[in-house]
Amino acid sequence: MKKLSAIALLLALAFTAACGTEDSDTTYAKAALAIGAAAPDFTLPDADGKQHTMASLKGKSSTLVLFIATQCPYSNAYNARMAKLAEDYRAKGVNVVGINSNSTEPAAEVKQHAADKGLTFTILKDPGNQIADRYDAQVTPEAYLLDSSGKLVYHGRIDNSRTGYLITSTELRDAIEATLAGKPVEKAGAKAFGCSIKRA
Amino acid sequence: MTGGLLKAAALCAALACAAGLTSACGGQVAAPKQGAAKPAAKPQGAAKPEGGGVKSAAPKVTEIKEVDLKTLLGAGSVRERPLLVNFWATWCAPCREEFPDLVEIRGQYGEDRLDFVLVSLDEPSDIGKAVPEFLAEARAASFPSYLLNADDSDAAINLVDPSWSGELPATFLYDRSGALVFKHKGRVKPAELRDALDAALE
Repeated sequence: MKKLSAIALLLALAFTAACGTEDSDTTYAKAALAIGAAAPDFTLPDADGKQHTMASLKGKSSTLVLFIATQCPYSNAYNARMAKLAEDYRAKGVNVVGINSNSTEPAAEVKQHAADKGLTFTILKDPGNQIADRYDAQVTPEAYLLDSSGKLVYHGRIDNSRTGYLITSTELRDAIEATLAGKPVEKAGAKAFGCSIKRA
Repeated sequence: MTGGLLKAAALCAALACAAGLTSACGGQVAAPKQGAAKPAAKPQGAAKPEGGGVKSAAPKVTEIKEVDLKTLLGAGSVRERPLLVNFWATWCAPCREEFPDLVEIRGQYGEDRLDFVLVSLDEPSDIGKAVPEFLAEARAASFPSYLLNADDSDAAINLVDPSWSGELPATFLYDRSGALVFKHKGRVKPAELRDALDAALE
């Protein structure tokens, strides 16, 4: 029952999104997605081949797009933290969407990896890394936080410590909290080292 | 602490530290700062270049902070030779895979013509074992090698190149005028890198 209503909602949202894509197409810029800019919509398949539009995955409060990998040790170091973020904020209307743009990591591997690592949020495959190109994503993990209107409010790392032993700044969580509180995000970006996205 | 001081002393020696950097080397470096302007004309982080990187050599890897990285790169400062810097990590597969190319290029462009240093982004705890062991295995023991223990990766990445997202590997070439003349993110393309080196050496 729950599943049925979810599908109905997805279809409804997908329809709405389809109507809106013409506009967002024109906003696809060559340059990196800037803070404050509307994130481009997209349609991508999940690991089972089912198509999802960005609009259909939009959270009520905000949407967190995470470019992730199966084989990157840096991204893998964040699996538990990414799962926790999704869990902590699901009820608050933040939807987490994972995107795997690595040409070296097929859908079946993405599915298995998510199951093994407890990543319960939707993970999409990005064939030909088109969406990574549109977002100018280069590294895994790389986070893009969109507010309720779909505008980019934070771009960059999850926190400052790969190992998790010395976390002294939690930029992504801070940005989510600010967005939920209706406040401006103080630190809209911070970089971290990581694996390169393996483009086709 | 003794180890830290030793490391700091080694680093100062390796970078031919200007007086301005001595204090930074001696204590905790909280953030990158100005004043360490003397370019590292010829960093000599590798303990014993002799032996040409044979497998048994135990390369020395020196821990550095953002301020030291800035000195090492010497961006904007005139230098004797072009400087090629490769950022890598043992956990990064394409980084490991490109080492044969890096070693070959090192062989083709002698130390009298080109400074070529490696900066690892491994954990500081890997400085004594994983990093030097890999370097020895990769026959890269003769490279001056550093491990960047950045207090803030964002600052470290931006001081190298604001357009860099931090993905590894990444390779940067500075010419004699200190200008960044070539950059490549991801596994190097040797022919492309050689072209850039030849241009910088003209």
